[in-house]
Amino acid sequence: MREKATTLYIGPQHPGITGNMMVRVKVEGDTIVKATTEVGYLHRAFEKLIEQRNWLQSFTLLCRFCVPEPDPVEESYARAVEELEGREVPERAKYIRVMVLELARIASYMLWYGGQAGSLGLYTVGQWSVGDRNYILDLFEELTGGRVYHMYIWPGGVRRDMPEGFEEKVLKTMDYLEKRLDDYDDLMFENSIFKKRTKGIGIIDKAKAIEWGVVGPPLRGCGIKHDVRIDDPYEVYDKLDFVVPTHEGGDIWSRAQVRRQEIRQSIRIVRQVIDKIPGGDFYNKIPNPQKWALPKGDAYARTEAVRGEVGMYVSSDGGTHPRRAHFRGAAYVHAITLLEDLLVGENLADISAIMNSLGTCPPEIER
Amino acid sequence: MSFFDLKGTLKPLTALKQFGKQPHTLKETPFVPREAADRYRGFHYNDLEECIGCGNCSTICQNQAIDMVPVEGIEGKKGDSGLRPRIDHGRCCWCGLCVEVCPTGSLSLTKDYVYVSDDADSFLWMPGVDNPEGKERKSFVSTEATSLNDFARIPMPELEGMERVKSFAEVVLGYNEEQARAEASRCISCGLCTEACPEHMHIPEYINAIARANDADAVRIIYDNNPLPEMCGKVCTRRCEEVCAIAHRGEPIAIRWLKRYATETVNNADLIKEIVNPEINAPNGFKVGIVGAGPSGLTAAYYLALRGFDCTIYEAHAKAGGMTMYGIPKYRFPEESLDKQIEYIQKIGVKIHFNTRVGKDISFKEIYEKYDAVFVGVGFPKPWTLGVEGEDLQGSIQAVNFLYEINNGKQVDIGDKVIVIGGGNVAIDAARVSRRLGADVTILYRRRVQDMPADWEEIEGAEEEGVHIVPQAIPIQFHGDDKGHVKAVEYLLAEMVPDERGRRPKPVAIEGSNKTIEATAVLGAIGQQGDYSFLEEEFAEKIRIERGRFVVNEFQQTTDPKIFAGGDAANRTADAISAIADGYRAVKGIEAMLVKEK
Amino acid sequence: MKEIKKTVIEKITTHFKEVTAQQHDGNRVDFFIGKEEIPAILFFLKDEMGYNHLSHIACVDWLEEKEFEIVYIVWSYTDKIKIFVHTRVERENPVMDNVDMIWRQANTYEREMKEMYGIEFTGLEAPEEFLLEDWEGPPPMRRDFDTEAYAREKFWERPGREDARDVRETIIERTGEELPDFAKKYKR
Repeated sequence: MREKATTLYIGPQHPGITGNMMVRVKVEGDTIVKATTEVGYLHRAFEKLIEQRNWLQSFTLLCRFCVPEPDPVEESYARAVEELEGREVPERAKYIRVMVLELARIASYMLWYGGQAGSLGLYTVGQWSVGDRNYILDLFEELTGGRVYHMYIWPGGVRRDMPEGFEEKVLKTMDYLEKRLDDYDDLMFENSIFKKRTKGIGIIDKAKAIEWGVVGPPLRGCGIKHDVRIDDPYEVYDKLDFVVPTHEGGDIWSRAQVRRQEIRQSIRIVRQVIDKIPGGDFYNKIPNPQKWALPKGDAYARTEAVRGEVGMYVSSDGGTHPRRAHFRGAAYVHAITLLEDLLVGENLADISAIMNSLGTCPPEIER
Repeated sequence: MSFFDLKGTLKPLTALKQFGKQPHTLKETPFVPREAADRYRGFHYNDLEECIGCGNCSTICQNQAIDMVPVEGIEGKKGDSGLRPRIDHGRCCWCGLCVEVCPTGSLSLTKDYVYVSDDADSFLWMPGVDNPEGKERKSFVSTEATSLNDFARIPMPELEGMERVKSFAEVVLGYNEEQARAEASRCISCGLCTEACPEHMHIPEYINAIARANDADAVRIIYDNNPLPEMCGKVCTRRCEEVCAIAHRGEPIAIRWLKRYATETVNNADLIKEIVNPEINAPNGFKVGIVGAGPSGLTAAYYLALRGFDCTIYEAHAKAGGMTMYGIPKYRFPEESLDKQIEYIQKIGVKIHFNTRVGKDISFKEIYEKYDAVFVGVGFPKPWTLGVEGEDLQGSIQAVNFLYEINNGKQVDIGDKVIVIGGGNVAIDAARVSRRLGADVTILYRRRVQDMPADWEEIEGAEEEGVHIVPQAIPIQFHGDDKGHVKAVEYLLAEMVPDERGRRPKPVAIEGSNKTIEATAVLGAIGQQGDYSFLEEEFAEKIRIERGRFVVNEFQQTTDPKIFAGGDAANRTADAISAIADGYRAVKGIEAMLVKEK
Repeated sequence: MKEIKKTVIEKITTHFKEVTAQQHDGNRVDFFIGKEEIPAILFFLKDEMGYNHLSHIACVDWLEEKEFEIVYIVWSYTDKIKIFVHTRVERENPVMDNVDMIWRQANTYEREMKEMYGIEFTGLEAPEEFLLEDWEGPPPMRRDFDTEAYAREKFWERPGREDARDVRETIIERTGEELPDFAKKYKR
């Protein structure tokens, strides 16, 4: 009997722990011959709303661009606005921002652990990692007043200084997490199921990676050492000592290895921040937000998130409201054109795993 | 990788070491609610006493979750709208911006965040009213360091103290454009100030126009109900700034200086007319006579003229402006500022007869009969006397008369040691003018410095210029030399005795504390009173005057329906802006009486 | 850094006649160019100058000027410079050249611009719909599309909040202040 192509719909309800989107795949047997993404389930018109809010108000929307890691969005918007206005940010605020970004990175990786392992049937990892992520959320709650949506980094600095005794709590949590990472290695990375299901799957062509717009861990998983924190340093990353891990291969396994090592680097950065953080102001106060007008012009600020380079383009007509704020999500590139290309020839059962390894985040695509 | 990966199969089994351990996310049982962090952004709490209902929380809320609604038991008053925020917790996103922009710091977020109900309407409630227990649970609060309100005023450039006394040059230099925009940007546009302003000027609107770099619109808005804004911009008593929302934790918006900035961008009468571009109605055939070209009379004339009335002002002096012309020294209010405004008022058709004293050059009766309505804005020209021995000595001068002479360009011999008696603006003005004439000046005041009714900036200005203030000093006698010229003032020290009826403490002289201070001139400035001798007997009978003031209704109408009165002679606040407000109200009264009657 | 920026500007201005360059602080260079030249300049930047990373494409609606501005932001991993290429498209029947043969992912950006601003990209191959579904109104990111009016028409207000008062209006009512119409636009 001849094989006939069938069309299947993966999603839109969470194809893996990613958020709502759909992949329409044409399969022959269980091999994908064509994949089309369909997004639009999470469009909240944030960018339109931002145009109707003043320069400050919109920061409450920004964190909702990406749930697992809201801080890079806040940070890139804040930095774009600061660049546009020429506003100085106190050194202490920059250090706090870096700490927040790195804590968010760890928290987000923890969620990714769960997603990546879960997509391969290793559910215990997810239960552990979400629990461990909670410790970081506790830190966020203490620092920012919110667990998931921090709304903490805003133009001019950060909203509140670190509470008393916060440094020790951060260090304690870092120590705990560092120990825990060994457990994850045993349970996840050493696991023969994990190895078998990830090695050689979803390979990104190294030669084409940059041209296709691959960024972040997927790019470094191709053995290309690019990271916004190093290439185009922002805040105080140029004053900190850390390595950007890479891994040859371009498959899910390589991307996982990059992330696995990056957590350790993030822990290292957080410790350095605690060690080096200077005193002084945490905030260069903006004028009355209702009447705060920014000079005409535009700015684009990029940040390295766990998914790769994210960026915020803002344009001002000289008024109290943004003319335009446009967000570049890494998933905007990864989870549409790249995903459609990568899935061809792969096995139907690997869709979730590939999507997770690319850092798919539909809310970031749709905003 | 071999076909069978032994290590990869066994390693995951190490997870079994976690077996039997308590889940680490549950530190306590699930039935005990977890205590939130000290900075948690939970439900709102509002301190109803501190809240002034400015509505800034409602404005900043990007989810439109906050309504301002009246609350039982809270009455609106000057500086408090009487409204309080009510929050739709179904829309709130817990960003806490409302807390960050609250000018008083009354709004905060609490540690409480668990609330379950299947009734969606129950999510609509008023913080502070519906959760009084929130007071003890406050977590995310507003401090001056984190508040988004701008508490510091843009400093006003001024001449340096000792530089000022060399001339009558204007002391306050005025904001430049950049400073004005920055200062205007501090305003949160709540509008509480407009209630405190006797004239209810459209303050938030003109400040907003300045902030948005549209000075011409600001000028138009200002002229909508104030034809003498440059004067107000320089010498207003600014009751508005007292109730400014920002003043609760910082310095009030410099409303007066912003008005000054806006009006100074227009530097001649023709330009004022072009910018304000007032709509002047066709003549309606009614004629109004006005006695006195002070602020109230000018205001009445201006708005009556715009409405098509034929207005004629009778002014005893050579220049219009009343007390603002003759009572306020030129370093505070230069003559050209006033001239420009008078010229503009004349340009739209108001006739002013100068040097025409009613009761002498023309009788009040004649005016009464000639016009359809009469507005009386005669002010308080007659100073009170101290009633102490030696007051009639040579060199004992009334401060208002002294200021009148100086403003008229005359010389007054005051010697080099001047004593000023009183604590109001006239006293301070007289003292600062005397400094400019080269004298050493001492002010004797019955109460404490903080009780002085004068503007605090004026008091500070006087001190900077080297005026010496002796508080709690009651003069009892002026001593003269053999030529009958004053040479010293004797006074008693006073102690402040709390008033039993809760009014401000009273100064009571201390027996035997007599002190004497040398003087070449004494300037008395303890207040003025009305002079109604110009009224013929028939009017004096018809018009009721109580405690030296005309009795008027809400439209400034006296007991003779054809006669309206305003300014110091009709109100108790006795300042220019109240006079302007009286004039503006009288316009409505006269219009209602004449036009609507017809 | 200054040197690199100078060379970049020199190279581009000699190669493209109708281009204006603008220097910025930091590692940013701006070019303003006519829309016909966009594919050419992007090809040149990518293939000849190593600006091979397309960081962003943004569209700004300048309603008052009757134009859209499209900004391409490209990055060179070797020069470490970001280049903004600005161009303007007329708002009436806007047509742009498709550039997804230069960068595959430009396809997604163009789909979004087509849907949200109504810009046609010649030769763009992509499904009709991107984020919106069964949308019949005007392109929603255009500034003349009033989101609030749309929401009011489409959805209903939950009753119970009608008693809300405006602070300024309350005070005006209480004092009898008469706010002229021309001043109303300056209310908060």
